[in-house]
Amino acid sequence: MNLPEYLIPAADGVPWLTLLMLSPLVGIALIGLAWLIRLNERIVKVGVLAWTGVPLLLAIMIWMRFDPQAVAGGQGAVQLVERIPWIQAVQVDYFLGIDGLSLPLVLLTVVMTPLAIIASWGVQERLRAHLALLLLLEAAMLGYFVALDFFFFFICWEFSLVPAFFLIQGWGREQRRYAAFKFFVYTMAGSLGMLLLFQLIYLAMRQVGMPTFDLIALGRLGQGLAVAGVEGTLRDILFAYMDQLGVTDVLGRYPMLYSSIAMWAIFIAFAIKLAVWPFHTWLPDAYAEGPTAASILLSAVMSKMGAYGMLRLLLPFTPDAAQYFAPVLAALAVVGVVAGAFGALSQVNGDIKRLIGYTSINHMGYVMLAIAGAAAAGEAGIDARASAINGALVQMVAHGLSTGALFYLAGVLYERTGRWELSGLGGLRASAPTFAGVMGIALFANLGLPGLAGFVGEFFIFRGAWATLPLFTALAVIGLVVTALALLLMFQRIFLGPAIGTPRTIADLRAPEFWSIVPILSLSLLIGVYPGPLINLGNAAAGQLVAIFARAFS
Amino acid sequence: MAFFLQNAWLIPFWPLLASALITLTPIRRIAMASAWLATGLMMIATVMALGLLAAVANGWALHDGQLVQLAVHHGEHGAFAFPEPNVVQRFVWAPTGETALQMGIYIDGAAAAMLAMVTIASTCIHLFSIGYMAAHPRQSRFFSFIALFTAAMLLMSMADNLLLFFMAWEVMGLCSYLLIGFLYERPSAARAAVKAFITTRVGDVLLLLGIVYLYAQAGGISFGQDEHGIFFPPLLERLARETGVLGLSHAAGIALLLFAGTVGKSAQFPLHVWLPDAMEGPTPVSALIHAATMVAAGVFLVARTFPIFTADPTSLGVVAFIGAFTALFAATIAVAQFDIKRILAYSTLSQLGFMVAALGVGGWVAAMFHLITHAFFKALLFLGSGSIIHAMEQQPSIRQIHHYDEYAAQQTAQDIRNMGGLRTRLPWTFWTYTAGYLALAGIVPFAGFWSKDEILLDAFKHNIAVYVTLSVAAFLTAVYMTRQWWLVFFGEYRGAQPVVFVNPDAPVSEHGHHRDHHHDDHHEHGEHWHEDPRMIAPLVILASFALTAGLLNLPFDLPFGHWLATLWGQEAAKLDPLVAGLSLIIALAGIAVGWYGYRQAFTSATDTDPLAARAPGLFTLLNAKYYIDELYAATLGQLTASLAAAWSLLDRAVIDRLIDGIGRFTFGLGKVNFIIDDTLLNDGPDGLASGTQGSGRQVRRLQTGKAQDYLIYVFGGLLALAMFWLYVIGR
Repeated sequence: MNLPEYLIPAADGVPWLTLLMLSPLVGIALIGLAWLIRLNERIVKVGVLAWTGVPLLLAIMIWMRFDPQAVAGGQGAVQLVERIPWIQAVQVDYFLGIDGLSLPLVLLTVVMTPLAIIASWGVQERLRAHLALLLLLEAAMLGYFVALDFFFFFICWEFSLVPAFFLIQGWGREQRRYAAFKFFVYTMAGSLGMLLLFQLIYLAMRQVGMPTFDLIALGRLGQGLAVAGVEGTLRDILFAYMDQLGVTDVLGRYPMLYSSIAMWAIFIAFAIKLAVWPFHTWLPDAYAEGPTAASILLSAVMSKMGAYGMLRLLLPFTPDAAQYFAPVLAALAVVGVVAGAFGALSQVNGDIKRLIGYTSINHMGYVMLAIAGAAAAGEAGIDARASAINGALVQMVAHGLSTGALFYLAGVLYERTGRWELSGLGGLRASAPTFAGVMGIALFANLGLPGLAGFVGEFFIFRGAWATLPLFTALAVIGLVVTALALLLMFQRIFLGPAIGTPRTIADLRAPEFWSIVPILSLSLLIGVYPGPLINLGNAAAGQLVAIFARAFS
Repeated sequence: MAFFLQNAWLIPFWPLLASALITLTPIRRIAMASAWLATGLMMIATVMALGLLAAVANGWALHDGQLVQLAVHHGEHGAFAFPEPNVVQRFVWAPTGETALQMGIYIDGAAAAMLAMVTIASTCIHLFSIGYMAAHPRQSRFFSFIALFTAAMLLMSMADNLLLFFMAWEVMGLCSYLLIGFLYERPSAARAAVKAFITTRVGDVLLLLGIVYLYAQAGGISFGQDEHGIFFPPLLERLARETGVLGLSHAAGIALLLFAGTVGKSAQFPLHVWLPDAMEGPTPVSALIHAATMVAAGVFLVARTFPIFTADPTSLGVVAFIGAFTALFAATIAVAQFDIKRILAYSTLSQLGFMVAALGVGGWVAAMFHLITHAFFKALLFLGSGSIIHAMEQQPSIRQIHHYDEYAAQQTAQDIRNMGGLRTRLPWTFWTYTAGYLALAGIVPFAGFWSKDEILLDAFKHNIAVYVTLSVAAFLTAVYMTRQWWLVFFGEYRGAQPVVFVNPDAPVSEHGHHRDHHHDDHHEHGEHWHEDPRMIAPLVILASFALTAGLLNLPFDLPFGHWLATLWGQEAAKLDPLVAGLSLIIALAGIAVGWYGYRQAFTSATDTDPLAARAPGLFTLLNAKYYIDELYAATLGQLTASLAAAWSLLDRAVIDRLIDGIGRFTFGLGKVNFIIDDTLLNDGPDGLASGTQGSGRQVRRLQTGKAQDYLIYVFGGLLALAMFWLYVIGR
């Protein structure tokens, strides 16, 4: 198959991305095999943990083969491309590739899965199924991040819900059924509009002679970049098709109207996943009611699927509508930032997992703000807009690391105290100083202390968003203060003051617990001190992505 | 010389290394090893900082790695400008679109002076802490924290851009949180730590906005006056010309946002409330963070970015007002406090107000000069108070309280009403403390006189209202310091029957009966006074600085006169006999009033303060710090709590209800669909269904709910709609 210059296959011909995606599935097969030969559960646990090293290694191999500076045809080059015709009747290809926007998230996924496996160490019932579902979730998320054909992309998007649903449903807390159900139906119902939109796009593309679900080609058309065999932009193609159907006679002859509808269809699907206000209420329930491992993967990686979708679909497909509605998106982002912060504050005497869940809403609000800021109209050049996207990517990775760590530690705390409520705890630092120290680092990483990764993300988000949306950016800092207050009060409730709670003392972190959290926090520190290598991954692609906004629409 | 210039980055590295080694290696198990490791590395940093200062003072600079001699720069009259930096080393930190953000160090005279001051003060404080913290079980942790703190302060002083400056600034905020809350078993310490972190964070986020505002306008945040720097004159001129928000120019908007950071960190009104509470930390912490260094960081921020402030004088007016107001406001509160550390804390607020006001009237050299002299004599006073408290805590009456309430014992030991007559009991502390007292009161030839006089001179020349306000504040400074000095060191020792602090957090204790009996015991043990030599040595070093630091910038044309002004490449101030004479008279008058008012006060600890006897209402108001804490708790605190409750309610009562409603509606539709399916379309798929049932039973074992049934309807409906689109409308 002839590939355009912006699609670069692997030089060594190895299907790296397929291997990456399949490796967790092989892990599941191995669990099945272990079950057949009645292998000891402990060996299974260790084996699965070791197996998560395989996707990790593969991701590192991919990282080493990835050239972050490669730019071609007005976009960051998509690399390690695998493209095979799949369902020819509807022009679906098996099309995988990776670029600077997806690689950081792939790396995040493979780093966080081992932590989720470790967090499942104490699971007593149906352990093999639990581990298998975690691997299945990993496979689905990896598939989502590397899929570049809408068909497969959407399958992974929906399919990732299945293991998450069963994890919450099967191993969660008292309200698990409500939480799991709400989470599943909400996300799925939200993506309905997007699914329909893509049917429409497919048909519209058929009118111009190139029916396709190719996300890269469609994104290029949306941005007005050249695609072999097609003339015009996605907006014009959609409008022409609407015109042909006669819809324009009813709704009016405004091309922007149709790209706006398209934008909102995409936005709602991803906004629910990203927990943008007011689509956020599933999140505290799902995170709080799920088992620790599910909370880790859901918060650390799955919520980023929404932001990634916006970067991959929303900005390139409908840049005009994204720019037009950027202030609205930013307003929702800011409300989410504030709502998340105050929601967390309302839980300082309540449920620790719910509190962490609300801070996630707050943090994802910044990511949304960055995306809106990158798109918004204004004089800002490529530097500011690319910084916003860079900041969003760093924030996603940083939030994944710190929130994953916090959920993990909350789980460890529960194992020791037997309670999720913060009230009635106190003074545990005296008996568990290392635990307090590690929790403190995770917490400061989460609230954006400089020197840890979260700050880098926030700084670049603010730097980028201020250039186009100064008012919303200024309002968003309320969240920085209030989240910090909520997290510090949480810490105070658990660890400080006299040891008069129940229990009065707990065991300190054991060596395996300590060493499983150290790599995560070290990564956060490393990124916080020197984020260059991470930002470098996405910088070129981000710069190309925002070029159209910097040029501005007439 | 080249060595010190080339390796300046090592100065913050040493304390950072100490902190890392103590935290990460088994050294922490040996308290003394940790203490001396931190102190020893701090001494190495001090030597390097002094070497660097010598190199910079002699005009040496590094250009592309080559040692060169800079021409001596004398400030010209007119626009403020920095001299050429001596060392600039940068590396690419992160790409930003088509450009990149660079990080590095930027050393000029101001940075070199800060580095020397911070390392000297911090070394003294490390030394003092070896004695002061000797008995504490978490001593290693303490040294790890203060070393990390010092590293951050040093890094901030040499930062080459606002981002690095901010990062170090926030790490100091973290250390401040950790150190204020060091005695975390006490609820009051935990609360004070959170209060300090959050209050300063309010300022910090505004500062962050200022930085991104500047970044957006200037396209960079590196210090420097070339075209890539933020002090590039044409850039500043444009920022001052173009209007941003609220009718302010960009320059004024940026400057005010930056200044908000100063208001938080340097505890200026209205964000001053955290600093007095921060006295919950161990006393060396108060000296290090809340007197000598961290609070000075706010002043240094304005000094560092001063060209932005001078670009549009609007911001300078605000700076001058806030500074002068805080100087006076805090001085009035200090008059009516009894806690020795709190008096010093409010004094710190007031003195920081002097520095800020000095910057506001354009007195850059005066502010920086006062920053340095104040760091020495206020560190001295805090450490001296530590020595006093340490000695007081050994007294039988206090030890009695210690049995049942450690916190109350400490607070009682800090109450100046319970002191008296310590001149003969703690002679070393007395003499060194007196040096600090005279320096703070502004008596010639102590350091504070020279620097405060320079501030007053600048105010006198540029803004007479600020001058008058600061003069009143200077008068009150002399009053409250005389009151404190007199009550602590003179008269009779009153601690045998102390005013006992009532701990609001104390649990109802079964040992409560000790309160009633503690008077009976003290005669058996008797007083026992002791000064630890490890604590005296740093006091003597700092006292010598309090006496002589004025030499750094004497306002005379002597060979060593104007040394700091020359180092900083600024215009040198001449002595104005009128202003200097007036300031001395004001200080002496304050001392006289303080002495006269308190010379016979407090024969016993329970006596009424003379001011309270004369004007009870005023005294209560001042003693309660104008009720600002209560005001904030009633307004902002309540608002925050209500907002949290309101958001939570909105989620639960509105949004979730809506979602659940939609969900139920969909179920309804699903049921209708099911009936249709069941009656009309059931026969065909039955065969298929029986095949899937086998696997379905397997799946069902995994979970218990019936949610997936509903989901099948949703998904099926979705698919049907999609098919409809594809094959009906699409055709």
